[in-house]
Amino acid sequence: MDVKLPQLAEGVEGGTVVSILVSEGQEIKKDQAFMELETQKAVGSIPAPQSGVVTKIHVKQGMEVTVGMVLISIEATNASTASPSAGEAAPSETTGKAPIAISTTTQTSTGTSSSTDDYRYQSKSGIPPPAAPSIRKLARDLDIDLTRVRGSEAGGRIVLADLRAYIQKLQQLAYEGGPAGVVASIPSMPAIPPTPEAIDFARWGPIRREKMSPLRRTVSRRMFESWSTIPKINQFADADISTLLALRKKHAPAYEKRGAHLTLTSFFLLILGRALKNHPRANASMDETALEIVYKDYRHIGVAVDTEGGLIVPILRDVDHKDLLQLSRELHAVTEKTRQRKIAIEELQGGTFTISNQGSIGGSHFTPIIYSPQVAILGIGQGQAKPVAMDGKIAIRTILPLCLAYDHRVLDGGDAVRFLKDIIAGFEAFDEADIKLKE
Amino acid sequence: MEPLTTEIVVLGAGPGGYAAAFYAADKGKKVTLVEQNPRLGGICLNVGCIPSKALLHATDILRETRDSALRGIEYGAPKIDVEKLRSWKNSILDKLGHGIKTLAQHRKINLIQGRGHFEDSQTLRVETSEGQKFIRYDKAIIAVGSKPTMPNAFDLGNPRVMTSTGALDLPDIPENLLVVGGGYIGMELGTVYAALGSKVVVLEALPSILAGIDADLARPVLRAAQKAFKEIRLNAKVLKMSTVGKQIKVTVEIDKQPREELYDRVLVSVGRSPNLADLGLENTKVIKDDKGFIQSNAQQQTDDPNIYAIGDVNGGALLAHRATKEGKIAVEAILGEPSTFENIVIPAVVYTDPEVAWCGLTEIEAKQKNLDIKIAKFLWGASGRALTLDRPDGLTKLIIEPDTERILGVGIAGSGAGELISEGVLAVEMGATARDIADSVHPHPTLSETLMEAAESFYGTATHTLSRR
Repeated sequence: MDVKLPQLAEGVEGGTVVSILVSEGQEIKKDQAFMELETQKAVGSIPAPQSGVVTKIHVKQGMEVTVGMVLISIEATNASTASPSAGEAAPSETTGKAPIAISTTTQTSTGTSSSTDDYRYQSKSGIPPPAAPSIRKLARDLDIDLTRVRGSEAGGRIVLADLRAYIQKLQQLAYEGGPAGVVASIPSMPAIPPTPEAIDFARWGPIRREKMSPLRRTVSRRMFESWSTIPKINQFADADISTLLALRKKHAPAYEKRGAHLTLTSFFLLILGRALKNHPRANASMDETALEIVYKDYRHIGVAVDTEGGLIVPILRDVDHKDLLQLSRELHAVTEKTRQRKIAIEELQGGTFTISNQGSIGGSHFTPIIYSPQVAILGIGQGQAKPVAMDGKIAIRTILPLCLAYDHRVLDGGDAVRFLKDIIAGFEAFDEADIKLKE
Repeated sequence: MEPLTTEIVVLGAGPGGYAAAFYAADKGKKVTLVEQNPRLGGICLNVGCIPSKALLHATDILRETRDSALRGIEYGAPKIDVEKLRSWKNSILDKLGHGIKTLAQHRKINLIQGRGHFEDSQTLRVETSEGQKFIRYDKAIIAVGSKPTMPNAFDLGNPRVMTSTGALDLPDIPENLLVVGGGYIGMELGTVYAALGSKVVVLEALPSILAGIDADLARPVLRAAQKAFKEIRLNAKVLKMSTVGKQIKVTVEIDKQPREELYDRVLVSVGRSPNLADLGLENTKVIKDDKGFIQSNAQQQTDDPNIYAIGDVNGGALLAHRATKEGKIAVEAILGEPSTFENIVIPAVVYTDPEVAWCGLTEIEAKQKNLDIKIAKFLWGASGRALTLDRPDGLTKLIIEPDTERILGVGIAGSGAGELISEGVLAVEMGATARDIADSVHPHPTLSETLMEAAESFYGTATHTLSRR
């Protein structure tokens, strides 16, 4: 059987082959990982759908593959073919989730992805999609495959409006840097929106070029999207965390004994979980189509993690229902998993708010970019000892630089300041009861 | 001698060749058109479509006036002046041929009368009345067409054994005419001679006439021919022919029994073969397929990148309008446009009595390809217009893809089917559904309504027939 790349997750259409864990002629067991794939979101392994012998490996390390592409061929060993029905059922199992049938010629000729658009006109009669000769000529001239264009007229007939909509979609995707496959499938458009002018940097000295990884491309696309579409405001603030630090110092050994490392970020999670509960708009999203604000009755906070491959934001679920011990343990586990690129794609989805803490590296006030479709993000710098006025006297306190970036379409200045004040109060008036471990 | 130079040379001035030459000239190319016949227009105009249709029209009147007696209008016996009929027919050919020449001259196309022969992939030698001419070209388009096949066993060197070319020349009206081959050419010309008064016998080796055409469309033609002709013999073949005085003795095999018969003339219409002998293709990279036709791709390009081939030389359906379309595609391909001969609907018309026309998918093809289709039919017996024309012997059918209700093919048998089929072509090219045709108002009373009613019958709501539901 040919093992095709299954649909990995919503919106993930393919990735780059990181490593191939089997060789031709090797025996493989069902569910044994045979390949590692870097997608736009993570690195994951692909399990074998059945036991057998690997007869052919169709991909190479570094190759880009898309959903539906044949990765390897497995010939069932005698034991597993004993029941013929099992052999027949297996292929549909693996291909069932992969809606795109990509012809072998496309794969071999380009060696890369062919498409990520799941629409394909298919006729039992094997005839091309219905379209007037004039539309077909136009498509030919523009080198557009009409089987990918959805026809809106009776019987799925493609009219000029459909072709126009399709081209607009392609253009939009091209400018967004788009799901890489879609853009790559259009021969005339590069995968990344080109700089207006191709600059030859080598004119001024030696250079080195590195292909942007799928993760890098996703990060750049999402950042560009957010930056260019969200009217945002950056609200700066400072929080005095001297008391909080003292409490941490006092209780950290107890946490260590329980195998938990009490980081500042776990405090932030606790404080923000509560603040978000009191300020539901900061936890909301905007539905631009329905023109509605979507309030979410859960608080899942994303924590930006700096990895070798680039920025990844894993999500901690229901932070408002968890205590400091749970949060510190979970945070540690999730961060480690993320750094090792072993985080599952599902663990990166569904966040309602994000914190970006640069404190462990350094840095003062900075303006973070909102992680759309969330409406706010809190950027945290490094706490520093500063002279401040306290009860009419100058005192040296540890001051944490904060910046709340928020989407002004959903949150107004008043909302944001009240939310930020709550957060600051959470830092400055941290209750020892929240840190004290129960025996 | 200094060779002539041209951007495009077109070899053959039939409907494929002259259309290609005109189109290339209109697109600004320097074009040379080479034709051996002094009258332009190729087979179609000289010995094909046009003369046969002229004769069919003239003789159709004979049948009409005869049938007219049943409607209470009687004419006297017709007087047929074969010479006059022939010269009327020829006058049409002259007029059209002259028209093409004028159009070519106005386009500043260099016309050379002579026989072309390829010297190499970029040189054509032309044998003209003024001697040899050499043409250096960038691209050549071969459009030399086909000729009727005359098996050696039948080739007695006797003009009484004719091909369609001889029959169209209308030498006389033979009392007894044998037509060998019940394909469309044999049936069309048999119709002409039967109307002129010949006793026509058709011999067909296959179990049906008009092989390759859906059986239900061929049936009205068979019925009418059985009345008009003396006899139609299926599963029959000719074993031998010989000259006996002013007649031809033909030994035929019927029911595996040989029988000898005498005919005044024999029309051999067993197929056509490409005019590729002596063309010098061996000096080029052009490759022929196993049937002897030129092998060309969807851009009409042959295996020789400088040489394109259009029309009958490519085999397949030997139709003038296909050659014309291929000619335009070849020119566009030469101009670097992304044209291809793919998914193009080529209609076909057989000018028998009644006519048969079809386009797109046929039932036979659907069966070969094992496609799931639905057929929607309308019998002309229920058409008011067909009855007023006294021609209820017709049938209109649509071949429909069930899931999408899209029309994949249209077939019509009946009077004027050739004129009716273009609506079918448009429907198939546009990807129309049966609903599209059913909802388009067709004028009453016309034969075109049969298309609408056939579409309605797909939904079980045809006005003039009862639904099977």
